[in-house]
This record gives sequence, C-alpha cells and structure tokens, in this order.
Amino acid sequence: MIRMHNVSKVYANGTIALDHVNVHIRKGEFVFIVGASGAGKSTFIKMLLREELPTSGELQVNGHDVIHMAHEDVPYLRRGLGVIFQDYRLLPDKTVFENVAFAMQVIEAPRRLMQHSVNAVLDIVGLREKFRCFPSQLSGGEQQRVAIARAIVNNPSIVIADEPTGNLDPETSWDIMDIFQRINQSGTTIVMATHDKNIVDTMQRRVIAIENGHIVRDEQQGVYGYEA
Amino acid sequence: MKLRTSEYFITEVVHSLRRNSWMSLASVGTVAVSLFVLGVFLTLVLNMNRMAGMLESQVQISVYLEDSVSDTDRRGLEHDIRALQGIDTVKYVSRDEAKERLAERLGDQKYLLDALGDTNPLPDAFEITVTQPDMVETAAQAIGHFDGVESTRYGQDVVQHLFDITRLMRIFGVALMLLLAAATVFIIANTIRLTVYARRKEVAIMKYVGATDWFIRWPFLLEGIVLGFIGGILAALALRSFYAAMAAKIYSTLAFFPLLPQYPFMNYVTVVLMLAGMAIGAAGSSLSLKRFLKV
Repeated sequence: MIRMHNVSKVYANGTIALDHVNVHIRKGEFVFIVGASGAGKSTFIKMLLREELPTSGELQVNGHDVIHMAHEDVPYLRRGLGVIFQDYRLLPDKTVFENVAFAMQVIEAPRRLMQHSVNAVLDIVGLREKFRCFPSQLSGGEQQRVAIARAIVNNPSIVIADEPTGNLDPETSWDIMDIFQRINQSGTTIVMATHDKNIVDTMQRRVIAIENGHIVRDEQQGVYGYEA
Repeated sequence: MKLRTSEYFITEVVHSLRRNSWMSLASVGTVAVSLFVLGVFLTLVLNMNRMAGMLESQVQISVYLEDSVSDTDRRGLEHDIRALQGIDTVKYVSRDEAKERLAERLGDQKYLLDALGDTNPLPDAFEITVTQPDMVETAAQAIGHFDGVESTRYGQDVVQHLFDITRLMRIFGVALMLLLAAATVFIIANTIRLTVYARRKEVAIMKYVGATDWFIRWPFLLEGIVLGFIGGILAALALRSFYAAMAAKIYSTLAFFPLLPQYPFMNYVTVVLMLAGMAIGAAGSSLSLKRFLKV
C-alpha cells in the first residue's frame, strides 16, 4: 500500500523535515502518526498526497511511484486516497449532499451512481437526514462527518486524516473514531496524524512516532507515549 | 468532454460572472471598446484598399496636344497610339468639348470661366484607357515622345498616394490594435485572477479528490472566452450601426463613393470581431492561470 524507503525531505530553507524514513504500511492497517508539532507529521502526510516531493528516497503509494510519476497521473494517485483535514474544508455555499457529490462530479463519475453513492456514504456517517443542510447549520462534528463522507465517496483504498479530531470535543471525537473504525473494517487502510493521546492509547493500533524527522518508534499496538 | 461536465462548467461560469459582475462588466466593456476600434480600422483599411484598387483600374491617360497639330496630324497620331500595345480605347476630346466639361464641373462657380470670355486656354486632347492598370506608365511615356504631344498626365500619383495612406493606416492600426489587445488581455487576466481567488477553496478540494488539471482549468478558460465573446458581439453591433450611419451619410453627399456594401462585408467583420474577442479572452485566462492557478 505505502512503502517509504530512505525518504528524506529538505525544504528550500534548509530545514530537514524527514531524515531517511523507512515505513511500510499494508492494506487494511489502521496507523496513527504521532509526534510534536513540527516533528515532520505534516510532511509525511503531504508526501503521500504528492503535495510535497521527497528530496531523496523511494516512495510507493497504491502502486504509484510517487517520485517518478508523470504530472498528469497525479490526479489518479489522489483518486485512490481520501483526505480529511482538521478544518473540514467544506464548501459553504453547497449543501451536505452537494459537498459530497462534488467529489464525484469533479472526477466525472457517472451521474447515475451519484445519488446512490452519496446516500450510501451519508448513511455511513449518519447524516442522511441532513443532506439539505448547509455546513453553517451543522456542528463541528457533523461537518467533519460530511468531510469523511466526501473522502470515502469515491471508494479510496487509503484514507488519510490530518488531525481530524483536532477541533472537536472528546465525545464528538469518539463518534468520528467510531466511523473511522467502521471504514477500516471494510478493508480501507487508514493513516491518521493526531495529537490526541486519549484516542491513540485507547484504540491500541499501530503507532508511528516521528521526532525531528526520524521515526523513533513503530509499534503494532502502541500508545501515544508523550505527555499530552 | 462529457455532457454533464459541460453542464457543470457552464454553471460554474455563470456563477462566476455573477459573483464578479462589476469586474466582468469592466472586462466586457474593455474588450468591446478595443474590438470596436479594431473594427473601425479594419473597415477603413479595407475600404481604402478597395477604393485604391478601383481608381487604379480606372486610371486613364490624358494626352494634351500642341496647338499647332493639324487635323491630319491628329488622325495620324491617333493611329499611332492605337498601334501601341495594351491600349484599350482612344477618345478625342476637342478643346471646345473640354471647356464645356469644365464649365459643367465648376457648376455654381461657372463665372470663373466667364471671366475668360471667348478665349479657350484648354488644349485638344486624347483620353486613353489601357487594358491593364500596370500598362499605364509605359504607355504614357511612349505617347509622350510622339510628335505633336505637349504632355501626358495620368492618375498614377493619386493612386500611389492612396496606397501610401492605406499602408500607413494599416501600420498605425496594427500598432494600436496590439496595444489595445494587450490592455484587454491584461484586464481579462485580472478578472480571471479574481475568479481563481474566489474559488481557491474549491480548487484545493478538486485537487485533493483527484480532478485533472484540465477539469480545473476549463471553467476559468471558458469564463475568459465568454467575456471576450460578449465584448466581441457588442463591438460588432456598435460597428454595424456605425457603418450603416456612415454609409448613409456618405451616400447622401458622395453618391459615387465606392464603399464596400454593408452585406456581407459587415457579417465578415462581425465574425472576425467575435473570434478576436474569444482569442483575447482565452489569452487573458491562460495568462492568469499560468500565474495564479497551481495545479
């Protein structure tokens, strides 16, 4: 699924964000990426999406050679990835349904599938009834659920979440984690960067800890390991 | 492109034009003014070309005879002229006939001729037309050497002047057009930049979910083309009524003036202006996308 081999990232200003990182994530895994701000978590996520290119090393995502792939193929890499952000990034002038359908529309998915697929993912996140609402009419947790629906509507094989519970209270965060767990159970790989000690410790999943650009810990049933 | 995708693009463009209505209006206005000026120059240059062409083909040589030439000599001379290559018609105009013509041409100012009394300062002459315009000069020179010919005149210099003016206008017009086109491209680029800015969130999401570069670019490109197209239509409409009004005015005073007839000429100009508008719009969008839309 995801294979990083000796990946380094040095930014133009000389900052070394990642230093010879080796990671292998298999299909169906649920992986937390933990570490302090500025440790390299964001760079890690951005490289999977090919927002940033590694300075050196090898990176395979979903069978794509991320470093050497043609620019025209990048959209097809991203169609296999569902992305979720801390700040939801919904379009305020579109309804819940339209926000989710937008992801299908822009990859020119068949229209006859749209109604059905959007309803199905809204069922998964439990927002079928609110399909007509605008994001401003929803709570933070609900908005994040819409974002999750949007991320999975095109059936990605990997869901990448960057601090998805960062803006949510603990109870709501658990609702979100519950959804992620269900998505994971259907065979989707999940990579989630987080600061949430409580969640990581309770979930008992694989934990990759990054510190100063190095992987300092990679445990199958890990814990957060820092004082939150 | 799939049908529903075109639908999507069209909705996007309409939304965007509404969102930036003032800027869109300004762009359309600038395109319209620029293309109108372009159209005026185009019309002017084409008309002058036609006029010069017509004058050239109508040029006749006037051959003025010396007073001493007798009737017999004159007939001999006429015979010699007809023997030259490329001569079409030769018409004798006696000095009396010439005076009558002059009086006619002077019209209200005939009194100028009356001052001359019975004297007639005009010479006998031949009016000669040639079969091809480019024969005029050689024929005139040959005839000039014949005995009994005082001088020859032909309208070559007038035609030349007209062509010179046309060429000058063409250069000036092209320079002005390029300048206006550049300004218009810039204005459109700025409008599209606003659209890109207004839609930056959507663009970001589109990229994350895997929309292709062209899928992202098309609505912006289309918007520029639509702005240019509307500007082109407005310019064409304005030019059509302008030309109609000018034509009416010119025909009422100078009935013989060889204007290009409004139809189909104005239809061609309309098509040219619309295409030019679309090209300018596309150029403006591309410029903006290159700078502001990182896909």
